[in-house]
Parts: sequence; C-alpha cells; structure tokens
Amino acid sequence: MKNRLRALRSERNWSQAVLGDHLDVSRQTINAIEAGRYDPSLPLAFKIARLFGQPIEDIFDDEN
Amino acid sequence: MTTAQANYRFFKVFLPAMVIYVATTAGIVWLSDRHTLPAYALYGLTLVPIAAIFVAFWAQWRFAMELDEFLRLIQIKGTLIGVACIMIIASGWGQLERLADVPRLPVFWLLPVFWVTQGLATTFISKREGVF
Repeated sequence: MKNRLRALRSERNWSQAVLGDHLDVSRQTINAIEAGRYDPSLPLAFKIARLFGQPIEDIFDDEN
Repeated sequence: MTTAQANYRFFKVFLPAMVIYVATTAGIVWLSDRHTLPAYALYGLTLVPIAAIFVAFWAQWRFAMELDEFLRLIQIKGTLIGVACIMIIASGWGQLERLADVPRLPVFWLLPVFWVTQGLATTFISKREGVF
C-alpha cells in the first residue's frame, strides 16, 4: 500500500527513529512502512493518522 | 518497550537457559557413563534440561510479544520456517525408517536443528526486509 508517511515526516524534520518514538514502534518498522514493504495494523494506522491530524485515507492509499 | 530492551530481556533469559541445557545434558551423559544411576534418578535429572528448554521457549514467546508488530511478524515467520524444517525432517525421516529401513534418527538433535534453522530464517528475512 502506498502512503505519505515519508513526506509527512519530512515536513516535521523528524528522523525515522523520532517518528518511531512518537508511535512506540521501531525505526525499522517506520522504514518498512515508508518503503511500502509493510502495511501497518489498523490500530497503528489510526495512531499515525492521529499523530499527523489527518484521516487515514489521506495518508494511506490502497487503490494505487 | 524499545527493541533494544526487548533484545536485552530475551538474551538475559535465553542464554543462561541454553547454558544450563548444554551443561546439564553433558553432565547427565557424563554421570550415566561412569555410574549406574537408578532410572528414577535419570528421569529426575533429565527434568533440568527439559525445564531449560521450556524457559528458552517462554523467553522466545515473551520476546515476540514485546517487539512491535513488524518485527514480531519477522520473528513469527522465522519460527514457522524453523518448525516446518523440523516437521519435514522428522516426518520425512520417519517415513524412511518405516519404509526404507534407514538408521534411526536421534530425535535429540531436532531442537538444535530448530534453533539453527529458526535463527538463519529470521536473519535472512530481517535482511530481506531491511531491518539491518
């Protein structure tokens, strides 16, 4: 699944490790999500959406 | 909990359990080679390495639960591959023992084979997924 996580993180000048700390996951997990190698669980997707103040569908795109 | 903390907690339990397993296994073999121990003593002594295996698997379980969802998935995939290898070896060799009269496989070695295949599979998947 494509997502805008890298762009949203860059806007805030956060490293993957910092974003991982905010979400209580590892840097490796952030890297895998950004690279599209791993689709987060629903609870983690909600956490990401809440952190960036955007709806899930604005961050994750399951159609392309 | 961070991944580093989970790793530390895992190895703090897993490594001593494996040391106890190897040491007590070797000790029991050494003892039984030199002394005629009653069967109940051998059964009793063997409970120690069995308990060590139980503790090692409990540590493995706790480790997987303490990781985040992506790293946990990698651990579970590696464990499944390890289990699959063991089942294929045990069941495949069992068929050969039944049908082809091959020598009996010492099932003692299945656990070390599991740890090696599980470790290699987890390392390979981690590498492929860009974990390190």
